[in-house]
Amino acid sequence: MKKMVSINLAGKLFHINEDAYQMLSSYLREVGNKFSGNDRTEILQEIELRMAELFSEMITDKQQVINEGQVKEVIGILGDPKDYEGAGDSHTREESSGMKFNKRLYRDPDNRVLGGVCGGLGAYFNADPVLFRFLFLIVFLVFGTGLIIYLILWLITPEAVTMAQKMEMKGQKFTFEDFKNKARSEYEDVKNHFNRKKGTGHEN
Amino acid sequence: MSRITSTAKKAPAMKIENSKAQMKKGVLEYCILAIISRKDCYVSEIIHELKEAKMIVVEGTLYPLLTRLKNAGLLSYRWEESRQGPPRKYYTLTETGTKYLDEMDESWKELVEAVEWINQKRTPH
Repeated sequence: MKKMVSINLAGKLFHINEDAYQMLSSYLREVGNKFSGNDRTEILQEIELRMAELFSEMITDKQQVINEGQVKEVIGILGDPKDYEGAGDSHTREESSGMKFNKRLYRDPDNRVLGGVCGGLGAYFNADPVLFRFLFLIVFLVFGTGLIIYLILWLITPEAVTMAQKMEMKGQKFTFEDFKNKARSEYEDVKNHFNRKKGTGHEN
Repeated sequence: MSRITSTAKKAPAMKIENSKAQMKKGVLEYCILAIISRKDCYVSEIIHELKEAKMIVVEGTLYPLLTRLKNAGLLSYRWEESRQGPPRKYYTLTETGTKYLDEMDESWKELVEAVEWINQKRTPH
């Protein structure tokens, strides 16, 4: 069973599973970041139209929910976000190079012994969490401070609860941090393009 | 052709793929206008034709270009309902667009002639 969301692409209703939704949403955001103002709105509209068309062709009675494979296929047809620059104005390139995604430190609830601090550190530094557990133990045994440091980290590090946070923890490209940092207007913009309705369903 | 590849090997900073892409990009505008001049098209039709002609590989390149041509007043569009799928945005050439295309036609002929003239003098290896 997988969680599913309903989205509105160019006025058409589509059901899409959560992972595929994240993929699609981050793709549109990345492409959108390449442009600004009126161009942005129009280009995104054009892309949504095309996506709606492609998805409509893919959907069958047996397979009504869009999955990651289909999103990947559509993105493959449309092309990588960097391909959009080529035909655009030359200055769009500089803007886009400033866009980077951040990795954030979280506690990893799926990889925990106590609070998941070491699991999160492991994900952040791309290392085996055992290494950090070992370090904390050494510092505790030798200096006696390891536990305090651990407890403080436990206290101040947020736990990665949502999927977006887990992605962020591992440094994958779904930065919902963008959402918070970007201006309110842009947030509204994305929301308009992607009228996400609440909805939970089943998918086999 | 062999000459181009051999110099590309000597200077790795100059990628043949980039040069090819640049070449295509230059005439892509012209091709879009030419396609739309025959009959009004919606985006998928334009894409289909460009892909068939191997002018584009991914579609992404096209959207900013269409917007730019429209902003420049060469293209305009209208909406039409479609029986299945989302409504379609049909592009059509404006009067300015038609004049623009005529000039591009001329310019293209000159370009082809120029390249042929130069290539004639080339002795094959």
